[in-house]
This record gives sequence, C-alpha cells and structure tokens, in this order.
Amino acid sequence: MVFAHGFGCDQNMWRFVAPAFAGEFRTILFDHVGAGGSDLTAYDPDRYATLNGYADDVVELCQALDIRGGVFVGHSVSAMIGVLASRKAPEIFDTLVMVCPSPRYIDDAGYEGGFSAAQVHELLEFLDSNHMGWSQAMAPVIMGNPDRPELGEELTNSFCRTDPDIAKRFARTTFLSDNRADLAGVTARCLVIQCSEDVIAPVAVGAYVHANLRDSELVQIDATGHCPNLSAPVETIAAMRAFL
Amino acid sequence: MNTSPPAPDAAEADDLEDLFENAPCGYLSTLPNGRISRVNRTFSTWTGFDSGQLVGRRFLDLLNIAGKIYYETHFAPLLRLQGSFNEVALDVVRSDGTTLPVLVNAVVRRDEAGAIRLIRVTVFNASDRRRYEQELLEARRTSERAGLALRDLNATLETRIADRARALERAWRLSRDLLAVAGTDGVITRVNTAWTEHLGWQSSDLVGRSFVTFTHPDDLDATQAAFAGIFGAPLTKPYEYRFRHLDGSYRWFAWTAAFEEDEIHASGRPTTAEHEQAALLAEAENALRQSQKMEAVGQLTGGLAHDFNNLLAAISGSLEMMRTRMGQGRFNDLDRYMHAAEGASKRAAALTHRLLAFSRRQTLDPKPTDVNRLVSGMEDLVRRTVGPSIHVETVGASGLWPALIDPPQLENALLNLCINARDAMPDGGRITIETANRWIDERTGWERDLPPGQYLSLCVTDTGTGMPPEVVARAFDPFFTTKPAGQGTGLGLSMIYGFAQQSGGQVRIYSEVGQGTTMCLYLPRHYGEAEPGDTPNAVSSASRPGQDGTVLIVDDEPAIRMLVTDVLEELGCTAIEAGDSAAGLKVLQSNVPIDLLVTDVGLPGGMNGRQMADAARVTRPGLKVLFITGYAENAAVGNGLLEPDMHVLTKPFAMEALAFRIRSLIGN
Repeated sequence: MVFAHGFGCDQNMWRFVAPAFAGEFRTILFDHVGAGGSDLTAYDPDRYATLNGYADDVVELCQALDIRGGVFVGHSVSAMIGVLASRKAPEIFDTLVMVCPSPRYIDDAGYEGGFSAAQVHELLEFLDSNHMGWSQAMAPVIMGNPDRPELGEELTNSFCRTDPDIAKRFARTTFLSDNRADLAGVTARCLVIQCSEDVIAPVAVGAYVHANLRDSELVQIDATGHCPNLSAPVETIAAMRAFL
Repeated sequence: MNTSPPAPDAAEADDLEDLFENAPCGYLSTLPNGRISRVNRTFSTWTGFDSGQLVGRRFLDLLNIAGKIYYETHFAPLLRLQGSFNEVALDVVRSDGTTLPVLVNAVVRRDEAGAIRLIRVTVFNASDRRRYEQELLEARRTSERAGLALRDLNATLETRIADRARALERAWRLSRDLLAVAGTDGVITRVNTAWTEHLGWQSSDLVGRSFVTFTHPDDLDATQAAFAGIFGAPLTKPYEYRFRHLDGSYRWFAWTAAFEEDEIHASGRPTTAEHEQAALLAEAENALRQSQKMEAVGQLTGGLAHDFNNLLAAISGSLEMMRTRMGQGRFNDLDRYMHAAEGASKRAAALTHRLLAFSRRQTLDPKPTDVNRLVSGMEDLVRRTVGPSIHVETVGASGLWPALIDPPQLENALLNLCINARDAMPDGGRITIETANRWIDERTGWERDLPPGQYLSLCVTDTGTGMPPEVVARAFDPFFTTKPAGQGTGLGLSMIYGFAQQSGGQVRIYSEVGQGTTMCLYLPRHYGEAEPGDTPNAVSSASRPGQDGTVLIVDDEPAIRMLVTDVLEELGCTAIEAGDSAAGLKVLQSNVPIDLLVTDVGLPGGMNGRQMADAARVTRPGLKVLFITGYAENAAVGNGLLEPDMHVLTKPFAMEALAFRIRSLIGN
C-alpha cells in the first residue's frame, strides 16, 4: 500500500492512517520531489510542470520496489497522480484510494471545480508576489519557536517541509491541472473519499470523479476541510477497510 | 492555566470579560469542525461584522482565496499535527470587501479525554508589518534586478568593449577628415589614413614631428595661439589654417580639437576647395563691381560732356554774339549775353564742384559753425523742396556745440539727405531733422569708425520704405543708386560721405525695411565760439575803393592774374604779380611790404602755393594768405584745416566774392 501526500505537506499527512494498515500491508510512504526529505536538487521545473512528472516518479518508485497489484492511497492532487500512474502502468495497482480528489479545480462549462479562473489566477499571483508572507518567511516562522528552539527544530524536521520556490511551482501545476479525460481510462477499482465540507474539493467534484470512473465507490464522511486523514482518521480508516 | 481554577467572583468575571472583548487583538473560538463559536469585540470592529454574523461561520470563510487554500493545505493539517500554529500571515476580508492583513496564531484545546474541545484563534493586526514586508520585498527585488543587470553587464562588457573598439577603429579608418592625436608639445603621435589622401604624407612622415613644422609661416602665430587655447577649453568653433602638402603647396583645413587624458585629439576638415571657391567668387564680384563702376563712369562722363558742351556753347555763343554786337557798335544787348555767359559759367562751376566733392577732393573752408542756426536757415528751403505731403520737423538740441565745418557743404549735405528722405516716402510722411551733442567712447568709436571724442550729430529721419542691409552696405558707394535709371547719379550720398570724412566726421545709416531710415552726420566739435553765419550770397556789390594795401598775386594763369589785378585796382590796392613760386618767393623774401598773398596752390617753380606761403612766413610771420584753387591738393592746404590767417577761395569764383574776401582780409 503506497501513500502519496498532496500539496502543502509531506508524508507526515499519513501518520494517523498508515499505521492502521501496517499489519496487513507492506506500507510505503514517500515525499514528492520538493517536499519533506526529498532531494531538492532532483527537482526539474520542466519535468514537474505537469502531474505526469510526479506520476512517472510513482511508477519508477513502484517498479523499483517491484510492486504489482498494490493499493495506491493518494490525497488531494496525489489522487490524480495515482490515476495517471495507473494508466501508465496498470499492473502496479489494482486499487486506488482517492482522498478528496479533484481532476480540475477551475470551473468549466458543465463542470463545477470550485474555483473561478479569476480566483486561481489571484492565488497564483498572490504566490508570486507574496511568497515572503506565505511560504518563504512563514515556513521558518511557523516551524520555528524562538522560546523553544529544540521544539522548532523537531517540528521543522518533522512536518511539511516544502521548498518555497518548488511549492509555488507545485501550486501552479496543481491548480492549473485538468485530468478529467484521464479518469475514463482507469481500470483499477477506485474508492473516492469525499468530505462533507471541503473548499478545495467540493462535494460535486467528488461526485464527478465517481461518475467518470469505470469501477468506483463514493464515500462521503462527515468531516469539514480537505484533510480527513488528519481531522477524521478513524472515519477514513473505516472507509478504506470497508472498501478493501 | 491552573488545572482547577477557583470560581471567579462577579467582578473578576467582568474584568476577564472586558479583557476578552477589548484586548488589542482579535480572539475567536472555533469548534472542532472549524465553525466559529465565539468572537470578541475587537475582531468584530476590525472586520465590520458583528458577532452574530460571525458565529457559525468557518474562520477560513473570512479569508481571501489564497488564504482559504493555504488554510486547507497548510494551516489545518499542521494544526492537527502540532496542536498549534503561530504567526501565519493571512488576509481577512472585511464586510466592505477590503482586506485586513493579519497574523494568526491558533492553538488546539482538548478536553480531559483528549478530544478537541475548541480551537483558540488569536488575530493580530499586521497592516504595518505587511507594508514593511512589501517595502522590503520591493527593495530586495530591486537589488536582485540590479544584481542581475550587473552580472549581465559584466558578462557582456568584454564583447561590448571589443565591439566599441572596433567601431571606433572603423570610424578612425574610414573618416574623410584628418584625425590626429598629439602630445602637449604639439608632436603628432597618431594620424589616420586621410592624411595621406589629402596631404600626401605617410603616417611615418608625420608621427614624431610637431604640427608647427608643417604650418604655413603666415598662419604660425595664430595657429600656436589656437593650439594653446585648447588646453583651456575645447576648440569647438572650427579654426582654419594651412598645412603643407608633400609637394610643398599648402592646403586649408578647419580644425576642432580637445585636450583629454594628457593628449590633444583633433579633427581637421579639408576646406581648400571652399577657399578657392570663395576667392573665385570674390574675384568675380570685384570684376562685376568694377565693370558696373566703369559703366557708371561712362554714363556720368558722357552726361558731363554733354552738359559741359551745352554750357560751353552757351558761353562761347554769348561771347561771340558780344563781339559781333560790339563790332556793330550795338552795346544795348550786351547785358543779355553777359548774363547768359555768367549763368552758364556758374552752372559749370556747380557741376565741377559736385564732381570734386564726390572725389573727396573739394576744397573745404571749415568754419566754427552753429549747426542749429544753419538748420533753421535751411528749413524753408527743405520744406519747399520736399513738398506739402511731407511734414518737416526740426529738433535742435539746446547748448549744441559748434562744429568746425564748411557751412555751404553742410547745407548741401542736409538738402541731399532731405531729398533722399522725400524719395523714400512717395506717399508722404514725416522728416525729422535733429541735432545733438555726442560723446563717442573707444567702443562706440570703433563701431562707428570714428576716433573717440566729442561730436555733434545731425540726423535726418524719415518714415519711408527703409533699406535692407545689403543696400545699406553699398549706400555710400559712388554711383550706387536705387533710383530708376536717369533719376539719380548715385553721387548724393557719396558726396555726403566724402564731405563728412574730409571734415573729420562720419555718416551712419540706421534703417529698417518698412519702418524708415535715419541718416546721421557726426561732425567734430569745435572748441570755441561759432562765427556769426556769413552768407556768401549777401556779398555787397558796392565796392569800396580806397583801401590801401599791397597784394602779391601768384598764379601761372595770366588771365587769372589779370582779373585779380583788376579787382585789386578796383579796391585801390597795389598789385604785384608773379607767374610761379620761385618768382613769388623772391618777392616775399624781399623788403617789399605785402599785406596779403593771393596764390594758386598748384604752381610751377618748385614749390606749391602752401610751401611758398610757409616759407614766406619764416620772415613774415602772420602773413595773410588767400589760396585760390580749382581743386586743392588737400594735403597742401592742410586737409581743410588751415593755420590762422590762411583762407581758401575755390575757383571759379565771382569777382565780387573775391573782392569781398580781399577786402575783409586786408581790413582785419
């Protein structure tokens, strides 16, 4: 069972969920390039300009680990990375667990993605103009705790380290992505976990994903926000077990 | 917080309530699902939402789009993982749509079982801090851009320098002008190939030698001065001099130069062709002017010959008629013929006079003159001459100095100026005749071509057509006229110019096309009183014989000697005649008492009349002298400035005028 984290964090996202499956599965956790403990020098802006680059990483990783017929658990944007990886190498996963997935964030004709083009544009502009407040200056401020430097160090090393410049690019790749057409080609069984109140992936998006996958199940859990793996781990685990 | 806080009493509760509501930061409590359960007054005030509008909403609903996403992807997960989250920079959207920059802290409060009880959110107003951050960011971006630009510059500097150097080398090589670098001593250190083309010299002939070696000797002083000037200021106004060609001839170049980095950098444009053209043009202009003059002289002499022939015909005809009538014994009509002959003679005299004035060889008889009185005496005549359509005004300066001039000539000049003024005003206008005292200093004198000193001016101003500068420049040229052929001789202003110059003064023209013209005569001041104006016409015809005295008359023309002798005898004087200067001097150096010497200026016998008079004055100081002359060698009679008791009478003269002069001289 391979766990892939979404935009904004690293494999720590799974710390309340992954242990629950360690008994039955060989659990694999990794950081995308640019996040957590990954090798930042491996980041290639062209390769990661689309989600395909990340999907290629997943395929390479799983082939290296000789995974076949595995379970892919992807949160947020990684749910779609899993879709792409599954299409590139269908033999690796026979099951996809998609936590709060979104194939396209920007509204389109007949499609409700949750964001207008103007809003996404505003977001990207904000990232470009204000990265000091958002990620560059904030990361150390958030993590750092002047009164308890030992804690700061521990937190910094533990949670959601992202390189500010790469985070900006990742946000761009994520929020401009449109992988709706890829859903139809997925052969694996899919579980779509949808939160009842999620700004980033509204209920309608979950329904869209479910409707466009050949073999899928939709579970809506009573949790607000975009991270049920953190805010509602028990429900998340239960939904996964039930599906598996 | 204590684990078991004592129950606060009512006052303490109020105090805490006040602290919560009015603290200088926003407080929010949210439920585990993120919905706001309580909010303090400070936050309500900042956001413009009242507490009722906020309770039940999620905190992220109050954020802008970026904040919402950040909240979901970073803030919420980390809060879950860490239990707290400090100093997140977010923007809260107020009720009016504006944004409030804030710093947000959040901490998770759990109950005893470990379940999340509430999330406490603390909000600081970060407006100032955000502004500083923006300024800091901007400053950093500026410095990054500058850094990048500098890196780019450094990266490209070498190639740009190389490009520039090639461009300069190309300009140096391809220039058609002479380019040179020289040391401060004028020794040439570098030249371009244009030198070989224009001057034949190779670079090796020039480098190491001073420009002085090649400079035309006549230009050397000026060129060295110009070279020295370059050290003070760049030579931007081209300086021209001649540089020697390999073949020994000289070529003109116009140089500009500057002194930079201890070297003279100079550029010379070849101008020999321009000089040759200018010389050709000047030559052609001179030739044209000369031919124009010759043509004018031809016209004039033709006209004069015609006039003189007429006059001679009248005189000789009259004399012939007189002889015939006398032969017939008819004496009654003689008067008529005499008058006719005299009239023709006077006109002939006036004609020669004008010619002499134009040639500046007229004989002047300057006298201290009150010019104001002369002008007012002329006013009537001027009015009659210019006609009723022109208003004549005279403005005489009070306290006007006397001038030392020949009054009839000044009258003549004034009348001429007024006639010119009239001709410039075919539709009528105004003539102003003005006199003034003038002090001419060095600078003004230089401008007006006058020695510095005191002058009086006589100006005639008209309101006529005016003259363009090119006409003003030639106005005094003899025979130059703007009048239609046959209407002017072109001698009028030339005569005035000659008269003014001969009198030690000057004429100046100020004219603007369409505005009018002012012609000013500058005349030297006479230190002394003006003589009462004597009018030549007022000579009394009543001769008064019996004025004893001895007069020596020296003239090589026997007819003149005869006439003068007759006049003298009429006056009752004793006349002694001499036919040349040697004979005259012999008489003058004898003991014969002589009251007056009447002599021609041009004399045979080794001396002119003036020299003879001067020699006579050695032994006869104070000898009164009257020069009678047809045209005076001006130097001989002192350029019109005669010593005391030396006088001039111009031939031809009326016998009565001669008698009057002799009488007044002996009488004194």
